[in-house]
Amino acid sequence: MGLFDSININASALTAEKTRIDVISKNIANANTTRTTGGLPYRRQLTVFEESKKSTFDSYLDKYTNKFNGNGVKVSRIIEDDSPFKMKYEPGHPDADENGYVLMPNVDVVREMVDLIDAQRAYDANITAINTTKTMMMNALEIGGR
Amino acid sequence: MKDMMNNVNILSKALDGLWLRNKAINQNISNANTPNYKRLEVNFEDRLKSALNDTGLKLKTTHEKHIGAVKSVDEIEPSIQVDRSYAYRFDGNNVDIDVEAANLAKNAIMYNAVINQITSEFNKIKSVINEGSR
Repeated sequence: MGLFDSININASALTAEKTRIDVISKNIANANTTRTTGGLPYRRQLTVFEESKKSTFDSYLDKYTNKFNGNGVKVSRIIEDDSPFKMKYEPGHPDADENGYVLMPNVDVVREMVDLIDAQRAYDANITAINTTKTMMMNALEIGGR
Repeated sequence: MKDMMNNVNILSKALDGLWLRNKAINQNISNANTPNYKRLEVNFEDRLKSALNDTGLKLKTTHEKHIGAVKSVDEIEPSIQVDRSYAYRFDGNNVDIDVEAANLAKNAIMYNAVINQITSEFNKIKSVINEGSR
């Protein structure tokens, strides 16, 4: 139970949403990358979020004494989307097969944009929450003053 | 316990509860995109109210399930519940970001209102101390 726990909870979400935005940016940037180090087209990446909990002795005790145990959110891992690559007819492309088809990344730019807006909204919501908490704390400092 | 700071003590219990609720709402907002996360709820008003209304004999309790005893204001702890009622999303998460944002605003207003109450309570005590001698 620290004074700034509330703000740290939202800060963890800011970090997580920022990571998500970074990954989405990477997907959009590589929407037309037909060759990566493995020789295959770029695979779309996804961030997986997980609730973050304190894992100290205190937190296990808190679980049984009905106390608050939460530490915000964390990015548990970044996975690759296994859906099939798109085929595009483009003879003359250096990566085209004998029939003239090129394997394109499984990135749907429109879908990435929607995810981007979602992440941005979540980011904004956390900024608002931090500001609200900040105002509450500043008001609490006024007690006993004047 | 009817001393000078009685009202302040009650109000500070309310502040504790509201602060914990703020934390729970922050936890909900930060986990708005976490699969299978269930939202947290904080309740303290009912317990505070029952402690305030009961004028009878109060017994010191050391366990949640002790029978027949109404807790005194000092002993009240806010309760945290996990809301498992429904999830309208495919990922099993039941946080509605709009509801949480509204709760956050409500909670902050309530918190600031209680702070104003405490400040005015202190001003009353101050005026009793200072103005009595005039």
